[in-house]
Amino acid sequence: MNIDQHWKRYEPSSANPWTLAKAGHLLRRTGFGPTTSELQQALNDGPQPTLDRLFSEAKHSTDAAQASEYAARERSLPRDAGGTQLAAWWLHRILNGSKPLHEKICLFWHDHFATSIVKVQQARFMLGHYRLLSELALGDFRKLVNGMSFDPAMMIWLDTVESRKGKPNENYARELMELFTLGIGNYTEADIREAARAFTGYELLNNRIVFSPRKHDDGDKTVFGSTGNWNGDDIVRLCLAKPACAEFIVRKLYRFFFSDLAAPTDDRVRTAAALYREANYDATTLLQAMLRSEHFFSPTVYRRKVKSPIEFAVGIVRGLEGNIGALPLAQRLENLGQQLFAPPSVKGWDGGRSWLNAQTLLLRGNLASALTSTRDSAFTDRCDPVKFLKGDVSPVDSLTKLFLQDDLPESAKDKLAAYADAHPKGDGIRSLTHLICSLPEFQLA
Amino acid sequence: MTHRRDFLKTSTLLGFGAAVPGFLGKTAFATPNADKAGAKETILVVVQLTGGNDGLNTVIPRKDAEYVKLRPTIGVPQDDVLKLNDDYGLHPMMEGAAKLYADGLMTIVHGVGYPNPSQSHFRSMDIWNVGHLRESITEGWLGQAMFQNKAGAFHLGGETAPLALQGGTVKAPSIASLAEFQRKFLSGNAADASEQESLVRSTSNGEAGGNDLLDFVQRTATTTYAAGDRLKLLNKNYEAKQPYPTNGLGGKLKLAAQLIDANLGARIYYVSMDGFDTHAGQGGKAGAHANLLGEFSSAVTAFVRDLEARGHGKRVTVLAFSEFGRRAKENGSRGTDHGSGAPLMLFGGGLKGGIVGEHPSLTKLHEGNLVHTVDFRRAYASILKDRLGVEPEKVIGKGHDPLPLFAG
Repeated sequence: MNIDQHWKRYEPSSANPWTLAKAGHLLRRTGFGPTTSELQQALNDGPQPTLDRLFSEAKHSTDAAQASEYAARERSLPRDAGGTQLAAWWLHRILNGSKPLHEKICLFWHDHFATSIVKVQQARFMLGHYRLLSELALGDFRKLVNGMSFDPAMMIWLDTVESRKGKPNENYARELMELFTLGIGNYTEADIREAARAFTGYELLNNRIVFSPRKHDDGDKTVFGSTGNWNGDDIVRLCLAKPACAEFIVRKLYRFFFSDLAAPTDDRVRTAAALYREANYDATTLLQAMLRSEHFFSPTVYRRKVKSPIEFAVGIVRGLEGNIGALPLAQRLENLGQQLFAPPSVKGWDGGRSWLNAQTLLLRGNLASALTSTRDSAFTDRCDPVKFLKGDVSPVDSLTKLFLQDDLPESAKDKLAAYADAHPKGDGIRSLTHLICSLPEFQLA
Repeated sequence: MTHRRDFLKTSTLLGFGAAVPGFLGKTAFATPNADKAGAKETILVVVQLTGGNDGLNTVIPRKDAEYVKLRPTIGVPQDDVLKLNDDYGLHPMMEGAAKLYADGLMTIVHGVGYPNPSQSHFRSMDIWNVGHLRESITEGWLGQAMFQNKAGAFHLGGETAPLALQGGTVKAPSIASLAEFQRKFLSGNAADASEQESLVRSTSNGEAGGNDLLDFVQRTATTTYAAGDRLKLLNKNYEAKQPYPTNGLGGKLKLAAQLIDANLGARIYYVSMDGFDTHAGQGGKAGAHANLLGEFSSAVTAFVRDLEARGHGKRVTVLAFSEFGRRAKENGSRGTDHGSGAPLMLFGGGLKGGIVGEHPSLTKLHEGNLVHTVDFRRAYASILKDRLGVEPEKVIGKGHDPLPLFAG
């Protein structure tokens, strides 16, 4: 049982060629939607060099020099900034940044350690939370979890700041096991109660986290059959020592990057989990193995994810090389069910099929219209398909290539072409773009 | 799994060639007040209280010293409890509900739960949504009921559609407000808009080519357009007989009342209200939990009275549940941790009224939790049989005797 057997690397061949559709798939999954030139470059370079470049760019993002940028923007965000402004802050990074893979993985971890400003109420704490995710997104999972245990936003979110010796609050210990490291069935209620005692003695005073040793339970605790004077780091160590942990993370990554429909096979989970453990829980090692695989580019993974609202919207904006304001877009994304920094619960966003219902599908269509019509007061003409296409003689071809890599039913393409013929200029082109972004195929990543 | 093509066999709604889901098809050509088979059918409105409602501070023991001991700071003073009978009362913020109880329009079932209660929000909510304790969960109890009786449902609200509604032959539309159900097109004239709308609808009906996810998107699109068309026909000048509170649940239930009054034929409406996970600073007579109960009570009261005034009183039942109760003893944060054994509340005209069952013991706890005295599936069995016309066994399996909840 080795990694190569179940995660065989993808090398294009005549039997399994590198195509524009596969390039689109790769760029959508590792980002928020490609531009025409990004698609072309990926097509020219091939899958592995493209992944080399994506990982290399993403790694550069974790450079601590970025911290000053964070600080500067933090000052521009008032302390009591509301949820939408905070979401817009991150959305701006996504719209204007050049490291899509890094932001995509940050989004994965944000969903995983789902913490919401609605309860934390301090934008600065949420930004600190984001910084932690950002620095360790592609790095050491153990450090990330340990960081989370004592991240101020998390401590407020899951009531660690209320937890003290003799009256431990179980919230963090429970979610640490159930949602962050192990999953249901891999711990007992007793493990939770004991672990909760390690997360005691911290308080929020004058907007700072303060530790009081006298309120901390430093007695012996028994967790997973192991007894000792465990502190928070020890509890994390005990969780990560269980084989279930690596497998749990692998499954979550698979759901996020591969498929909303099917779970990974047991063999794939075991081999990837073993690799992850051998690499001391290094995220880059694991992700590289998963994303470079033939399986990632296979038909059972292609178009088997529903675009999250942010992927849907940013995909349109990036594709049309638009330049819209993050704040109005953040407001629309809220209605679509995805407000960054405000997940609906500690379980994160359900994602997948749940992104789509009668309401949200309608709203997506209306958002696509607002972005492309040039008539919306929030977006104006800053995402105008007419400007983007610059007198292109075959807008249907260019747009379907850009947004769908030409993978749509003949009948749909014919109907679009007929519409384009009847409405060849100005608003006709804008409507055409809207219609393409309303296709069911466009909802899939 | 019903193929989307089956929808195409029923008559079209507005001539766009769009498919019409089953339940809407029944009323396709009906105006809101036309007499039709579905008009007198019973309706279930589910109110999900998300987070784990503290049952012990909702239906409160009136003369129990143990209650006072268990809840030194968050206990509701016995004098403030709204009396239902000698032994139990409602939280003081639930005046509307107390009046409904006095009028025979409320039933409380004590101590509802299931064996080996899960303390995970998600696992326990799944169990309530599915009506089963098994691990593999893809279909909800209401979805399966709809599969049996071919009824339709609406999910009202912006959050994820509940698991409870999955498994029917059609996807229940999720609606946040009537106004939002209008599709916008950039067009110079009506003909152009119509052309675009037609294109969007016809391209939703393609072949999925073996991609179940694409098939799902296409089916969702079909449901969306059909539901939107029907809703356009609703009477926009709806005047509530009893004013609804402007809180979140009030708005959702008002929308439900409008849809019910419009006789769309749907028999299940599902709404939820969040915020009940009161681990810290729960409050007692006043505070966070009290405010939630106040919102709940005022919204449900307005809903029940409004429907009564419109002649729908006897056929509509409201079921309010939560994924678990909370610990008997308050914790060190003036709140409560996850527990079990909370009451079920039902409202409406067809009920027997009163209190059913036995309150869990406050002294014989299990690891700090109330031990449930009746299995929730017995309540489901009663609702399935007497409200939804479905054999309980087909949905929740054997062995759950229906509780005597409904009159006649």
